[in-house]
Amino acid sequence: MSAYRTGDPLGRRRFLTAAALRGATVIGTGALSTGALSTGALGTGVIGATALGAVDADAAFAAPIRPLDPAVAESAFAEGRITAINHDVLEVAGSYGDHSRVRVTNATSVWKARATTAADIETGDGLYARGLPLPDGTLAADAVWVNIVNLHATIRGIEKTRLHLAHGQHEIVGNLMARTTSAAYGDASPTADLSRLTIGQSAQVLGAWRPSDGSVDLVRVAVAPGAGRRR
Amino acid sequence: MACGSTKLWNGEATWFCCGNAWGPCASAGGGACGTCRSSALQAAWPNASKACWDLTRPDLCGEDIPRRGCGSVMKVRHDCSGASVCVTVSDCGPRTRSFCSESTCCDGVCRTNRVIDLTPAAFSAIGSLSSGTLPVSIFE
Repeated sequence: MSAYRTGDPLGRRRFLTAAALRGATVIGTGALSTGALSTGALGTGVIGATALGAVDADAAFAAPIRPLDPAVAESAFAEGRITAINHDVLEVAGSYGDHSRVRVTNATSVWKARATTAADIETGDGLYARGLPLPDGTLAADAVWVNIVNLHATIRGIEKTRLHLAHGQHEIVGNLMARTTSAAYGDASPTADLSRLTIGQSAQVLGAWRPSDGSVDLVRVAVAPGAGRRR
Repeated sequence: MACGSTKLWNGEATWFCCGNAWGPCASAGGGACGTCRSSALQAAWPNASKACWDLTRPDLCGEDIPRRGCGSVMKVRHDCSGASVCVTVSDCGPRTRSFCSESTCCDGVCRTNRVIDLTPAAFSAIGSLSSGTLPVSIFE
């Protein structure tokens, strides 16, 4: 899978704006995800990676990077917790008491432990969003990363289905996900083989936070080259 | 201070969260400079101070990174796309010594060793957060 769409003749600003003004055709028939407290519904259409988009971590890591649209300099950014979902607009409470309205369009890529659809976004989720500010005050998002974390941690324990991690002064449970969690040993390509992870290693943990219990679904655990090398 | 064009360094860029935040980042705090915010265009530099250097030790990976303290301005350019962002040093990091010889490549261009840590706002301005690392050149 290519991390970046090729051959797109549309300018990013024009595409996002058009998508937003059309009413975001991605919206419509999707049901709310289980457990969502939303007041609206986001659609179920697959929202693929864009030229700037959020994509599967390993694919993004391995794929060639294509030039970004010059409009990136005009990009805006929002972060915080989603308090409500009104059709295609995410109401976001920022971490400093600010408030943002993030519009999801058919040009938006969504990442939530993997490339996914807007239907997976729930109230209570945290997000980082990048996009273009529209005249109505919303941010037309070209990429939304839901619950994404990228933490420097130390591996404190290893179980069959989870890792115990120390992040600063805090303990975090990292959930291993079948067919998703990979390990990156230095400059080698990420692998599903986690057997070389060892207790005491420094690790960079890319994953998705679970608001329900505070744990992290692990997407990639990166350790230094040579760490855990077989003897 | 302006965002300049004099080459300073190159290597890997990673990203981190700081300031008031959600999830595991809620305990991150304002960083070594006390001003760090995930939503601002900021960075952590491994030689922001002597104390910082003692933690990050880029020299152990062969990187004799110069000192640039809190408030220093840098331009970080994605080495393949050419996209760039201006950032202000607001924290100490990354812990270069823990990942010596790690490299990130794109389009045949590879950069080795973690030399700068960007906030989500800054990193996402030049690449995808889900990639985790980017090969970059740094200017001042």
